Amino acid sequence: MTVSRRIKKIWSLSILCSILLSCNNSNQSYEPLPKKVDFNFDIRPILVQNCYLCHGPDPSSRKAKLRLDTYEGATAALKDGGYAVVPGKPSNSELIYRITHENDDKIMPPPEMNSKLSEREINLLEKWIKQGAEWKPHWSFIKPNVDNDINDIDFYINNYLNQKELDKAPIANKNTLIRRVSYLLTGLPPLTEDIEEFIADSSDDAYDKMVDKYLNSVSYGERWARHWMDLVRYAETKGHEFDYAITGAWKYRDYLIKAFNNDIPYSQLLKEHLAGDLLKEKRYDIETGEIESQIATAFYAMGEGTHSPVDVRQDEANRIDNMIDVTSKTFQGLTVSCAKCHDHKFDPITAADYYAFYGVMESTRFTPLDANLSIEKENTAKELLEIQDYIKTLVTEKISSQVEVKMIPKDDGVIKSSSDYKLLGDFRVSNFGKWKTSGMAFGEKTTLGIPEINKHSGKLIALKEGIASSRVFDAGVFGSLRSPNFVLDSDFIGVRAKGKQSTIRIIIDNFQLIQNPIYGDLTKGVNTSEWTNYTFNVEAWKGHKAYIEILSGEYKQHNFDLPENAFVEAQYAISFNEEWPSEIKTRDVDASTRQIKTINKQIKNGHLNPYFSELITTIDSSQRLAKKLKSKTFIYGVSDGFAINSPVFDRGRYQDLSEERIPRRFLSALPLGDVPFKSKGSGRLELANAMLDTENPLTSRVMVNRIWHHLFGRGIVETVDNFGLQGKLPSHPELLDHLAIKFQKDDWSIKKMIKYIVTSNAFKRSTIINNDVVKKDPNNIYLASFPVRRLESEAIRDGILVASESLNDTVYGPPVETYLTKFMQGRGRPAKSGPLNGNGRRSIYQSVRRNFLEPMMTVFDRPIPFTTFGKRDVTNVPSQSLILMNDPFVIEQAEIMAQKLLEQKSLSFNEKIEWIYMHAFSRKPTEEEIGNASKFIKQLEEMKKANNNDADFDLEIWKEYCHSIFNLKEFLYLI
Amino acid sequence: MSKYHNFMQKPLSRREMLDICKGGFGSLALMSLLAPLPLSCGQSERSIINPSSNLNLGPHFLPKAKSIIFLYMDGGVSQVDSFDPKPRLTKENGEDPRKKFKVDATQFDNVGKILKSPWEFKQYGECGMPVSELFPHIATCVDDMALIRSMTSQFPEHTNANYFLHTGSGLQGRPSMGSWINYGLGSENKNIPGYVVLDGGLIPPGGLDNFKNGFLPASYQASILRAGAQPIANIKPKESIPNLQEQKLSFIKALDKKQLAETGEVDAVESAISNYELAYKMQSSIPELTEFKEESKATKKLYGFDSDDPHTRGYAAQCLLARRLVERGVRFIELTCPKVSADRWDQHGNLKDGHEKNAHAVDQPIAGLLKDLKSRGLLEETLVVWTGEFGRTPFAQGSNGRDHNPSACSMWMAGAGIKGGTIYGRTDEYGYRVIENEVSVHDLHATMMHLMGINHEHLTFRFGGRDIRLTDVHGHVIKDILT
Repeated sequence: MTVSRRIKKIWSLSILCSILLSCNNSNQSYEPLPKKVDFNFDIRPILVQNCYLCHGPDPSSRKAKLRLDTYEGATAALKDGGYAVVPGKPSNSELIYRITHENDDKIMPPPEMNSKLSEREINLLEKWIKQGAEWKPHWSFIKPNVDNDINDIDFYINNYLNQKELDKAPIANKNTLIRRVSYLLTGLPPLTEDIEEFIADSSDDAYDKMVDKYLNSVSYGERWARHWMDLVRYAETKGHEFDYAITGAWKYRDYLIKAFNNDIPYSQLLKEHLAGDLLKEKRYDIETGEIESQIATAFYAMGEGTHSPVDVRQDEANRIDNMIDVTSKTFQGLTVSCAKCHDHKFDPITAADYYAFYGVMESTRFTPLDANLSIEKENTAKELLEIQDYIKTLVTEKISSQVEVKMIPKDDGVIKSSSDYKLLGDFRVSNFGKWKTSGMAFGEKTTLGIPEINKHSGKLIALKEGIASSRVFDAGVFGSLRSPNFVLDSDFIGVRAKGKQSTIRIIIDNFQLIQNPIYGDLTKGVNTSEWTNYTFNVEAWKGHKAYIEILSGEYKQHNFDLPENAFVEAQYAISFNEEWPSEIKTRDVDASTRQIKTINKQIKNGHLNPYFSELITTIDSSQRLAKKLKSKTFIYGVSDGFAINSPVFDRGRYQDLSEERIPRRFLSALPLGDVPFKSKGSGRLELANAMLDTENPLTSRVMVNRIWHHLFGRGIVETVDNFGLQGKLPSHPELLDHLAIKFQKDDWSIKKMIKYIVTSNAFKRSTIINNDVVKKDPNNIYLASFPVRRLESEAIRDGILVASESLNDTVYGPPVETYLTKFMQGRGRPAKSGPLNGNGRRSIYQSVRRNFLEPMMTVFDRPIPFTTFGKRDVTNVPSQSLILMNDPFVIEQAEIMAQKLLEQKSLSFNEKIEWIYMHAFSRKPTEEEIGNASKFIKQLEEMKKANNNDADFDLEIWKEYCHSIFNLKEFLYLI
Repeated sequence: MSKYHNFMQKPLSRREMLDICKGGFGSLALMSLLAPLPLSCGQSERSIINPSSNLNLGPHFLPKAKSIIFLYMDGGVSQVDSFDPKPRLTKENGEDPRKKFKVDATQFDNVGKILKSPWEFKQYGECGMPVSELFPHIATCVDDMALIRSMTSQFPEHTNANYFLHTGSGLQGRPSMGSWINYGLGSENKNIPGYVVLDGGLIPPGGLDNFKNGFLPASYQASILRAGAQPIANIKPKESIPNLQEQKLSFIKALDKKQLAETGEVDAVESAISNYELAYKMQSSIPELTEFKEESKATKKLYGFDSDDPHTRGYAAQCLLARRLVERGVRFIELTCPKVSADRWDQHGNLKDGHEKNAHAVDQPIAGLLKDLKSRGLLEETLVVWTGEFGRTPFAQGSNGRDHNPSACSMWMAGAGIKGGTIYGRTDEYGYRVIENEVSVHDLHATMMHLMGINHEHLTFRFGGRDIRLTDVHGHVIKDILT
């Protein structure tokens, strides 16, 4: 990429802000014009900020039929004559004429826009036209490309520093380095013994070894999983009115920790998120054999869940919008959601692109998944099905030779077109028709013809009639059977079923939180041992899209649970008006059905008396095997539904649909964007493959930029979730491309990329800044020194726990309940508060309840989980100080730290201070600091004495001291 | 740029702001913490609540209001029982509403008969505004109030409607109006947050996200204040000995300063240091607020401190606290409802009993607040807004309740810039739907912002590639109710 080597500052706070600031913000005007004006870095930002609102990609707001986002548009004949841009001839270009015009009715941008081009911007545009008005696609849509791949990070960083004549800060001392690496790689401060070891290690690769140690510790995954959780709006409840639980959300958190620790390639991680349930090659946990790949799909289901929305179709549109928003920002750094109502105002993303995505999401169904599904379970199920087949073949062969089947005249009409009812599903035949199963409970087909054999005597009781059964293996096995989508056109849906502690639901517009007051009638608990007609009144939703879900197990307050004896069986499903029809004709009566009937009749009449004693042991052992299939832990994720191509919603309103349906496909401006997905399901796997296509310019760049952001505190592209035209330009474009290419070459290894970055000199620099550098580069864009930064909320809390030696390093598992203060009120408040110290577990294991977010986390800027936040705010507010000064958790930990200190017998005063400094700052105190400490401790002693405080005197003093330490900026910042 | 641009303060640079308080602990402490700010000093005293963000942008034009008190009637007050009398309901009481007009889907879908109001209406004030027996005290203030009978919401569900009313979007996660206003104007007072929610006992459905900052910096979220000795979380020092905390803080500051000198001046660290000074002062300024020591007996009585009803007394304290916050320059104050019952104003059944109890709790305190503000000359600088998230159906739910109705809702405003005694908008003969001058939530927001000196179309924040407004792409200032 031949880009100009300069950065422009874009003021993007807000329109208002730019008005206010434009008065005195002309420092860039003094910068000389570049020799060769670059469209992407010099010109497009001017056009985006000033022109695209009326002359951009969105035709609905375009004025004078002029578009300046394409070369063709800008050079086309204007309706009033002339050309906006005449390459090579600024004086003939209407654009230059208008932006320099003196009259209010002619000047562009018009006065009401409140934006005026600076002189420098005008000069740039002029020079660019003079040089031929070269057009380029937006920088991030051009595939990464570097001239020379032998260069490294420092080459690129130093290039700019030399150009800008910025003095590099020296390499930081070892204490600083280990603290920096430890916090940034694991979110925890280094332990005293690790610091000492590193300091003592004078070998050349001491730093590398230290980095590897942290990269390979379990805490690494905990840190980087949390970064990722900000992207996918991770929460364990659904928020809204009653804050219902999201089944097994924490399993997804554990999945992330493991995936980062095992350095699962990013390409795989992406694929698992988008289509983990559809992968041919599943990924299993090495130790447990459990399927990991499907768990990632939980990220789709992490959104807010609306309680009883009256407009269920709008609710679906909102939910899908959020899914599109999160997916496109997270993986492509694009704001596709902006194209919901009209083509994107700035980016080459059309409304059609949005609805192509919409179809993908609309064809995706939410479902509980068996979180313990393992390779062993899969093999057991396969084995059991083989045994069943074997028994069936053996029995049928033996029996049929003894039975003569009379030919019964064939039934006329397969499905009688009856006005009384419509058959939506029929399981009395051998297969499920178009219905889809998920989980393994229902096996692969109906029970038709399966021999029922007395397991003691081996006597054949009967050949089973056809039903769908979730206990093909055993009760308590997880599985669901779901119909294709259909449009509701009758008053009632009926399902003939029986079972125990199980559920049948009518899912309308993919709406899941079915309950009173509006939707209560759409879910029925199945708890009958006799065949029962379950009737659902759907009159109110005629015209809506729906499907039927038959599910072993039940939702308790929307939290899925599968009791050990739960099962469900069904014969058929119908839609009807008025009365349940007296007779429901079978979908298809074939020879085998008739044969089975004849055989059963003969067995019943005693004409047949077959024994299969040779099968007794097989049956017995298969029943024992089947117990292994029972499931206890679940996660809420997705499974594939049936392909739906969505129409475009005019102005984002589902009430106004386009005639045409948009085929599901990737974004049209990106490679493979014009290839419709062929899948009969959602097409999510094709979406993932398109993102991972070698020609895709974004996937790798976006991820390496996120990694850079987490390590340096600012991305090379500062707007980490927006690589579109309104995002910021990269500060080091060639470096970004270099990293993006390297990342792909290294098999998308995140650990390798992190190691590559943290072993650069740029990363190892001290934070010490000199005044000259501050003047030239006040925001430290060029990284002459390492940027000082405040630790994140989790790192502050976890750092306190490490300092007080109270960190409970248990990994994984259900979250620790949130500690509730009296300020945390509202519906859905848990009955019981969690422990003040969160059981000493790391912050990532503390519960994330949408309506009861932990104050310490949010006050220190953990984002509210509603959309993708790749970059956290760093605010400075008094409530942060109040927490550190007065929060009972902080004070309690200070006391524990003092206790731990005093347990170290025979420490001199100096050694005590040293102990504390190593715990809190990863370094030893200076003489002066010991002196200060001693003075302060004396003051504390005097105050306590004066107040006749006869509590544990020493403990009190040291507690106050440790508490003060927690409040020091050196403790809270990476300095 | 507006012709009033001289009135606008250029945002102070961070360094300038620090200069103002360079004396740190000392000089800031000299500024009176306990006395209310004189109202005129607001413009020259910029906030240091969030010095690092420098986003306090200042008003677009001369504001009428300095503060907003938002009296939130959580659950939805019935318009036909409060401010929008409908004789036809009395006439057709007990008849089937479906035979009279098209009935929309409701949340409980339990449509009963047309239900007349159990309360009589009388005309009050010079303007003759009709008010029902539910609000005898508020009725005495009608000449200061502009009544809007034509509010609508887009959502018949509490949570969506709450988010919509508070954030302009029915979905979770957008910044609330109080956050926007503080983002736009900054805070007038350094010692108290600019956006305060007085929790009367009921946090509305949707939870604290109704008051959150969304994608705006966290410094713009509401501080929740509760009655009692510890009104804000962690406001009380835990040190058992007097001056011990000060001792610790000066030790901390000395070490921090030294650190700063070694690394070079890092803005963020400097701001964090100054935050301690602010936090320290809040420890005394906030609890002082909730003690009403210097309030006279007469004032307290005006608000209803001597009521037999504990809920009235509770809400009276909230209203008085609201006035004290206004005096201290807090921009946006919201009062949530007292816990009369878990259902707030949401009377799906037992309308009579529920509405009477709720009204009794808030009526006198609100009237007291309006009168007190007026007598102190504060009403002309304070906008008081009274509204629920939607109205209720003119027909019964079951036999004696009313269901949610987003198609019509009555609300009123009083104070700064409001033309008192006005009635705006009209509903049909049943009070079911708006038929004239519909006011959307976006219009309400536009008007509130307008009175605060903000052009709602110009206050934007770039998020996810869009310049987002509180009013999305909608909103018109309701000029007819303004002076």
